Amino acid sequence: MVKVDNYELPEGLYYSTDFEWIKIEGDKVRMGITDYAQKQLREIVYAELPGAGTEVKQNEPYGTLESVKAVSDLVAAVSGTIEEVNAEVQSKPEILNEDPYVKGWLILVKPANLQAELANLMDFDKAIEWHKNQAK
Amino acid sequence: MKEDRMARRIIVIGANAAGVEAASAARKKDRTAEITLMTQEKTAGYSRCGLPFVIGGQIPSFKDLIVYPLAYFQMLKLNLKTETKVTAINTNEKTVTAVDKAGATESLQYDSLVIATGAYAFMPPIRGREKQGILSLRNLEDGEQILQAVQNGAKSAVIMGAGLIGLETGVALIERGLKVTVVEMLPQILPHMLDADMAKLVEEHLREKGMCILTEKRVEEFLGGEEVTAIMAGGEKIEADLFISAFGVRANTKLAVDSGISIGETRAIKTNGRMETDVKDIYAAGDCVEAPSILTHKPLCAQLGTIAVRQGKVAGTNAGGGYALFSGILASAVTRLFDTEAGVTGLTEATAQRGKIEVVTGAISSKTKADYYPNALPIKVKLVVEKESQRIIGAQIIGGEEVTQRINAISFGIQKGMTVRELSKADTAYAPPLCETWEPMVLAAEMVLMKLR
Repeated sequence: MVKVDNYELPEGLYYSTDFEWIKIEGDKVRMGITDYAQKQLREIVYAELPGAGTEVKQNEPYGTLESVKAVSDLVAAVSGTIEEVNAEVQSKPEILNEDPYVKGWLILVKPANLQAELANLMDFDKAIEWHKNQAK
Repeated sequence: MKEDRMARRIIVIGANAAGVEAASAARKKDRTAEITLMTQEKTAGYSRCGLPFVIGGQIPSFKDLIVYPLAYFQMLKLNLKTETKVTAINTNEKTVTAVDKAGATESLQYDSLVIATGAYAFMPPIRGREKQGILSLRNLEDGEQILQAVQNGAKSAVIMGAGLIGLETGVALIERGLKVTVVEMLPQILPHMLDADMAKLVEEHLREKGMCILTEKRVEEFLGGEEVTAIMAGGEKIEADLFISAFGVRANTKLAVDSGISIGETRAIKTNGRMETDVKDIYAAGDCVEAPSILTHKPLCAQLGTIAVRQGKVAGTNAGGGYALFSGILASAVTRLFDTEAGVTGLTEATAQRGKIEVVTGAISSKTKADYYPNALPIKVKLVVEKESQRIIGAQIIGGEEVTQRINAISFGIQKGMTVRELSKADTAYAPPLCETWEPMVLAAEMVLMKLR
């Protein structure tokens, strides 16, 4: 875990420029929002997520997060079929602010085209550079 | 069957307090709208109120004042165009014409429009005002210029105007080691915020800290060659290395006026309770508008960040197809000058009298902790009460600490129509390290009651 200007970035994840992370877990991919994203949105009060079985496409919205001040689309970092949705973030959206990388995961996806799509994402080192630019 | 319609197009002119708030509120109401923000400035979504504290060195960099980074606009799908000047609004065609940094002109269609063009630093018609080197403090670049002058070795500064911005900047420059002279035309400092008796306390404190304050002195002329080197004020020549005009700000209304939108008696854009102008689907918010006072119901152009964001939220909600009302202005404000805090809410005694409101006032000096507790600081509370209704209509507080939340408490009371008798019975808390047994607000209320007997 490193901190770029107060924003946490764990190692071992891939990041999108739409403020999402993915974690590859065997043949599944877990997806969520970055610490940077939750800090921009501030206190998140509502997470609108699709159900299991829904297909998501890379770079396309699949849900929304609403905070007291803002509302933002969730943009899928990879394509695939949702296998599991984190029910806890729907009943307790504050965990997205408290722990966006572990307890605050959003969906577990069976990826459709992971190897090809990874090229569109940032690895840890690239994500550090990108966050530095965001923060400047 | 649901009708297929095009996404709503919302344009917001201005991208600071009111503009960004309006765009965010519009997005919350309408997830699919095309929302475009345009600003002439290089930087959007920063806090103007923080500028003096970068100059003073409490905040390391002007960049730290950016409240909404570009990522915020991306996340909310707000199309931000910086360094873009809107040159015209065509209210019949519902278009705005804008020129970007490269000089390219484009015309954009809107379904609803929010004007949040803010205000500009006002310069009275003083002889020599075309000379170079007269700075003001309105935007980031102004702040950078002042800080640059300090870093280039300026040793002294003249500040013209003893309002909030003038004094906060003066304090910042003293903290940077400059010799500061403040020139004010009126007989007191903070004339729009405090009554003379309360302003006197602040003035004494500023003098103790080394600020030279000249009241009842009008700036008559800027002296020097191409570059200003001195001013004439009240017949006296004052030389300095740095000249800052803080005469006040005026609403930026040119665009609105040119497009036929009505201006009100305060020379700001007229709005109704939904922050809509007198042209349908055009809303306005922030430093460029007037809205009614909660107390007098007369229009006020408050030019406070707090009011700007509240109005922006209402304007944006309505522009996005929702329904929201702005409940009016009390004009609560606080500041800290060195280690003295000053706050106001509602009407001062002077503004009430100018409005022909008969008032009774009470002022109590107390301490911020139990008198015997170490480091208890002085605090003074002044209440302004309407004689007939016995309702509280204003308060001013000067103290070493704990001013803000008292101002807020009285603001809540005023908004709820609280009488001075009700305040005198308030059930307040007490512990020696935190406050006095008798809350000074309550004592001030008792004093007013005694005068009303």
